[in-house]
Amino acid sequence: MTIQSSQTSSVKRFVWIIASAVSVAACLRVAFWATPKIVTDLSNVIALSLAFAGLVVLTHYLGLLSLGQGAFVGVGAYAALHVVNDFGAPVLWMPLAGLLAGTLVGAVVAIPSLRLPKAYLALLTLSMAVAYPIILRQIDGNLPVTLDGAFVAPSWTGIAENDEHIWELFLVAAYAAVTLFFVQGLLRGPIGRAFIASRDQPEAARAFGIPVYRLRLYGVALSGGMAGLAGGLLMIPTNFNDYTHFPEELSIKMFALAMAFGGSRLISAVPGALVLIFLPVWLIDRNWVVEYGWVGLVKSEGFIYAALLLATAYLTKGKGFMHLFERRQPKSKVQPSNRQVTSVVRGLVDLDQQLVQLEGLAGDRPDIRSRQATND
Amino acid sequence: MSLFLQRTFDSLANGSAYAALAVAISMVFRSTGILNLAQGQLAMFSTYIALVLATGPSPYMKFSSNTDLIGAAWPVWAAILGAIAISMVIGAFTERVIVRPISADPVAAVGATLGLYLLLGAFVRKQWGGRTMFLGSPFPQTAEDRWDIGGARLWYDSVGITLTMIAVLGLLAVLQRRTKAGLAFRAVTSNRTGSLLVGIRVSRVLMLGWALAAGIGALAGGLIAGEINVRPDMMGRLLVFGLAAATLGGLRSPVLAFVGGYLFAFLETMLGGYVSFVDSQVTLVWALLVLIIVLFVRPSGLMPRTEAWQQR
Repeated sequence: MTIQSSQTSSVKRFVWIIASAVSVAACLRVAFWATPKIVTDLSNVIALSLAFAGLVVLTHYLGLLSLGQGAFVGVGAYAALHVVNDFGAPVLWMPLAGLLAGTLVGAVVAIPSLRLPKAYLALLTLSMAVAYPIILRQIDGNLPVTLDGAFVAPSWTGIAENDEHIWELFLVAAYAAVTLFFVQGLLRGPIGRAFIASRDQPEAARAFGIPVYRLRLYGVALSGGMAGLAGGLLMIPTNFNDYTHFPEELSIKMFALAMAFGGSRLISAVPGALVLIFLPVWLIDRNWVVEYGWVGLVKSEGFIYAALLLATAYLTKGKGFMHLFERRQPKSKVQPSNRQVTSVVRGLVDLDQQLVQLEGLAGDRPDIRSRQATND
Repeated sequence: MSLFLQRTFDSLANGSAYAALAVAISMVFRSTGILNLAQGQLAMFSTYIALVLATGPSPYMKFSSNTDLIGAAWPVWAAILGAIAISMVIGAFTERVIVRPISADPVAAVGATLGLYLLLGAFVRKQWGGRTMFLGSPFPQTAEDRWDIGGARLWYDSVGITLTMIAVLGLLAVLQRRTKAGLAFRAVTSNRTGSLLVGIRVSRVLMLGWALAAGIGALAGGLIAGEINVRPDMMGRLLVFGLAAATLGGLRSPVLAFVGGYLFAFLETMLGGYVSFVDSQVTLVWALLVLIIVLFVRPSGLMPRTEAWQQR
């Protein structure tokens, strides 16, 4: 059984390596052959995937609701831009300022709201989403703030000076890949399991010594940090920021997409980011945005998002469409990923069965006696 | 002193709108445990219904061909009452069709209310566009319609809106304490399973709660429209203040939510008036800051601490 599962694991790993190689090849092809507009859109998709992944962590791992993920992205963008403009930080490291700012704001929002029922986090984050553009307008004014710096590719890359969008795509992809790798590892380990335990059985988790409140706080801070990093990364291809970039609708759309496509895997964040970036482009290309009346309503972005949210709520009970494609394991056969743990668990199960048999043998006597009593 | 008095009077109309939304949010949360994020949009949609009823056949209204059913333009108060009735039906319909099938899962239910939020926003933008429209107030609103008290002006309009809201809260209290439906509502909010066991039709009671909340939201929208005009995003700011006010009431106490609404409006007006670097837009941020501080210092809001902690 152990050999079989290790074989399955190797096959799976091989498939993943092949899929990753194909994705990298496809990205390279798109980067060098697609138009700058599409490459920039792809950079935005990759950056926003991180924000969606943060939302997946929050919604699907912790069972919490954040309606202000767009505002966290905005906070990251603001911090990244100003750390370069005001403090002269190197542009290559500016996304880290976004990460730090997002984490801090996430923690500040989480500390008071997590002490109360879960609805408070949703409420506070929604308020933040509404307030963010107003604050930014007050701080930065009506005009956009441009980044004082440029992303010039090093000569060893062979990327021409005019093709900075390609270098920007690689930078964004590198940051995103490292972060997703790190977060995926975190979620597969004890912290991920503790997240799930605190979501499904908070009381039992507390009984096992898991600090549920602190864990949720870390979760919100992690999610905020990922969104902040996404904001910092968005500034790489965009190079400017203003108060119209991150309105409250963005947060609600992000929540809708995270709900619709979010599964228990971080990779499910990618479709959400793709829809968020390319749906408006698609609608404009088809000239649907100018239609009025009932037909115009059905073809509007708001209606599409509303239909998506309602369909997710009804058809998947809020678990997301990716959940439908995930392999379901029977509840009684929960297999730990660690092989050593598997063998120990199996041994314990065998021991338990033997004990049950022994108890059964010992417990037969009263049954006989009771039968005799009725016969008498 | 007269300036302080003037600012206090100025906060009355906004306070009434915040209080009404806060009461509506608290009522729904208290009975179902669901945060109805579409409450503001429902109120905005109701205001547009009132506008259609009040405007009558008009080239600016895309529903003008349907206004034959409505006839001539209705008086503003009648239009608001009509909108309240229609909104109550929409509220009950929302509970029955959208929320009830998925109410067991709070995430799905919140998602559904957000879906409704987006749907109503998209509908209004497509039907009436983003332009600002004028509904008018059911109360006298000319320059002479005021009392001069201690050098400050107290408008009939503000007093009318405030008194209407107090009357509505009083009616709600009477409904809850003196009628069978109110008794059933209190029983359901206190113990749903127990209510089912004693024969209360819980689903109908919840539907009534949603209908009442939608009606109160419609009233808030209709009354405040005379102050802030009608546009698709008119309720965004009000919703945030409404949510903040509901938080002060621990999300479960309509009376404390009502008080919270006026408190936030007072705070907003005073900050905007006395603090030089706080303009009318940024008061929202300060309100948010106050909300965070309140949650830090006193997580239960204005509610008694033991009661709030029992509800975790």
